[in-house]
Amino acid sequence: MTVAQIDVADVLPASSGGLWHDAWSRLRRNPGAIVGCFIVLSFVVIAVFAPLIAPYPPEQVNLNALGTSCCPGPSAQHWLGVDQVGRDELSRILYGARFSLVIGVVAVSAGLTLGLILGATAGYLGGFTDSVIMRSMDVMLAIPGLLLAIGIVAALGPGLWQIMIAVGITNVPVFARLLRGSVLSQREQDFVLAARSVGIRKRSILFSHILPNSMSPLIVGATLAMATAIIDVAGLGFLGLGPQDPGTPEWGTMLTQVDLYLQSAPFLAIAPGVAIVLLVLGFNLIGDGLREALDPKLRGRTGRFKASKSAEESLDETRAAAFNQESGEFG
Amino acid sequence: MLRFIVRRLLLLLPILFGVSLLVFIWIRLLPGGPAQGLLGERATPQSIAQINRQFGLNRPIYVQYWRYLDETVIHLNLGTSISSFRPVTDEIRIRFPATVELALGAMIFAVSFGIPLGILAAKKYGSAFDHGSLLASLIGISIPIFFLGLILKYIFSVRLGWLPSIGREDVLANYSHPTNFYILDAIIERNPAQLWDAIRHLILPAIALGSIPLAIIARITRASVLDVQNEDYVRTARAKGLPPRQVDSRHVLRNAMLPISTIIGLQTGLLLSGAVLTETVFAWPGIGSWLKDAIFSRDYPVLQGGILFLAVVFVVVNLLVDISYAILNPRIRLS
Repeated sequence: MTVAQIDVADVLPASSGGLWHDAWSRLRRNPGAIVGCFIVLSFVVIAVFAPLIAPYPPEQVNLNALGTSCCPGPSAQHWLGVDQVGRDELSRILYGARFSLVIGVVAVSAGLTLGLILGATAGYLGGFTDSVIMRSMDVMLAIPGLLLAIGIVAALGPGLWQIMIAVGITNVPVFARLLRGSVLSQREQDFVLAARSVGIRKRSILFSHILPNSMSPLIVGATLAMATAIIDVAGLGFLGLGPQDPGTPEWGTMLTQVDLYLQSAPFLAIAPGVAIVLLVLGFNLIGDGLREALDPKLRGRTGRFKASKSAEESLDETRAAAFNQESGEFG
Repeated sequence: MLRFIVRRLLLLLPILFGVSLLVFIWIRLLPGGPAQGLLGERATPQSIAQINRQFGLNRPIYVQYWRYLDETVIHLNLGTSISSFRPVTDEIRIRFPATVELALGAMIFAVSFGIPLGILAAKKYGSAFDHGSLLASLIGISIPIFFLGLILKYIFSVRLGWLPSIGREDVLANYSHPTNFYILDAIIERNPAQLWDAIRHLILPAIALGSIPLAIIARITRASVLDVQNEDYVRTARAKGLPPRQVDSRHVLRNAMLPISTIIGLQTGLLLSGAVLTETVFAWPGIGSWLKDAIFSRDYPVLQGGILFLAVVFVVVNLLVDISYAILNPRIRLS
């Protein structure tokens, strides 16, 4: 063994297999993230196998179970009771998992795609384009998110797709800002300068140098946005803008009329609500774990490393943190 | 500093122009017009035409937009609601205080629990309490506000009967309201029964609306106290033998408050722009549920005026947050 070989073996930590490998091994050691993955995977399994697991079809009305007054509670035939028109609550919750997961994925992908294009363009081109795009995003942010979403649904008509699109659109400025910030900080890095100096075209610098390095905040943002999208869509459903057909048991929509039965049948409110909380918590746990795992400041470093920041930068950081935290949840 | 404020105020103009244009176009894309919303089934072509004429909706679209800008910006006249026939400014005068009261109540709840929780968690970093509070705040963020509202209503109104579940005050009471801030009104009137009534009605909605800011504030407080605790000047303060309590209050907390106060300001701005869901669950007559109803009834003047008003509030609150940040932070103040 030569001296050089010994040195390399000593200096390099054994686990150094790139950012993703590092992140994965950190994520695996985070109990919260594991629990989150477990919750989300359980819901995925429930969603996929809903027809096999659910005791009844979601739209099947059982008038016998309804009896004389509204909503008999949990029983052997109906574990979570029946709703106001005699449908099995458990079956509806199980089928509802399908919609909530699809909602999360569609709403976030829609918002992410548009936000990514706008944010990356603004951040990379800068100048006038940047101003126009970001001022338009400011305009969207100045309008209360839920009202904007309600307005979009009012224009498109109530329904599952419509509320997903509405929530996706309200997410656009959030992602645009996130990505712009990320691209801006990458743009000044040496490897970009190097790429530019050897004459690589702008577009390929953006796609093969800057964007891949801007991905980690985006992944964290997207996971957390999944959580808020599910909540926000449920909120629109709660306001009565969700799918109108009885075969689509969206969780928020299931809570719409529950106010009337709060006294006689509280379980009708609790079951869909708990389902939403669990799924959202799952995504939040994963998002949180990812945030820690992908944080470059923590990566392969012991002790604290902090470059001195200008005051303006720290304000921006606080804003970004606030943004990440609230990620546009409707009040 | 002055230049900063002036620059930001000038930036306000294009945003407001954009909001006015966006709202104007958007509400005209809604299917059905205010006449249909108002008349419903009884609508006849004649009555629709009459209402459209009355509110100037039969003119060319650019004339309508110009009139809207002219009336709102130059005459500060937001028009008359098509569904209630009352001036939009009058409605805002009644409803915005309700929204402000709710938002302040929620923030007081969030701050008075969030900051101590965050500090404690940071002090006991890595302990069971720390992990527990992190998990609790994550659960807090994960609960849909309308679900939390329903649960609070069920426990404290339906089951225990301690607190009222809807409205701002007892419907049978005949209190006077000089300012429409009901708590303030009760103090002005020196009426303890009125004050207690207003507070009782505020508690549940404020808790529901404050839950998310509470979780966010607790997390930010924890993170920023942890951050500041490791700074060199804190180590110096400890090393020179200052009592721990003094280090905490003078060195750690004072510096940790910077990001915390920014978050509080930003969250307040968000809450002020209307809490549609909370207002719906608790039948709170604020600005959010009013605008929601206006979307359904296609009340163009209410939407044009109300959303523009909220946008101004949002932008101004954000500006105030930035200014206060600059004042609180000596690094900016001195530069």
